[in-house]
Amino acid sequence: MNNTWKTALLQAAVLTFEELCFLFPETELTEEQQRATADAAVCVRFQGPFHGALQVNLCGQVLSIVTANILGEEDAPTPAQQLDALGEIANIICGNLLPHIAGAHAIFQLDAPQVVDAAEAPASASMACVTDVQLGLERGRVDLRLWAQQAVAASLGEL
Amino acid sequence: MALNVLVVDDSAVMRAMIIKTLRLCGLALNAIYEAGNGEEALQILEHHWIDLMLLDINMPVMNGEEVLQRLRHNPETAALPVIVVSTEGSDLRIAALRQYGAAFIHKPFSPETIRTTVISMTGVCDEQHMEDGPFAGSGPDF
Repeated sequence: MNNTWKTALLQAAVLTFEELCFLFPETELTEEQQRATADAAVCVRFQGPFHGALQVNLCGQVLSIVTANILGEEDAPTPAQQLDALGEIANIICGNLLPHIAGAHAIFQLDAPQVVDAAEAPASASMACVTDVQLGLERGRVDLRLWAQQAVAASLGEL
Repeated sequence: MALNVLVVDDSAVMRAMIIKTLRLCGLALNAIYEAGNGEEALQILEHHWIDLMLLDINMPVMNGEEVLQRLRHNPETAALPVIVVSTEGSDLRIAALRQYGAAFIHKPFSPETIRTTVISMTGVCDEQHMEDGPFAGSGPDF
């Protein structure tokens, strides 16, 4: 795992949850947060100087809280709104992350977020997980995994 | 003058958040229209007078960059104020968008950023300032 990429992923996630969702992620997880099981997961694939994917899993029934905070409404958000919100969160984290790891001039194309199985890796043998981050959110947790093409992953391993 | 605003984003949740932010900012708003992609946005523009467009870039069917190009090539919409609200992080692509005369707001954004950018793009004061008289206020007061 590469520390620079891990830090960039952590910072992009914290910024997004603070400014978009008005939640304050914690890097030290409680036992309850560690035990939380996944509610939903989305994956954003990207192409550019290198290709890869960012997977975001929300655990511990925090997705409805996150969505309600974004919408600023007290009514319970619909399941469709919750998945839409999770996709937008993943999109924003990915968009903020890539310039930090590839440089401000790098141009990436982000695909629309896809709902995926939380336990499932992006379906491509050409990619490997290059870094991951877990953050505590309320009584739950968010898991973030960044995947990149094998050649990039291999070069990071040599650094 | 109260603004007719068109919010274009493929995420309904993000459109709702932007609209809520616009309303909370106390800006003088009239009708607010929504579109889920660039094609829908152009159709709305054909039928309604719009004073300001907030535009995402990465969208299905027709992306925001193509919308901007079409707006600028149409004499009726060439001068329409456009604020791009996007996750785009490449300074080269952001510079290209600015060449079309668009302002740029990076997601995630603060309400203050939306408010000051809307005021600077449209010249329209917020509701409180309008009540107090033109330019009576001293700027954003969050």
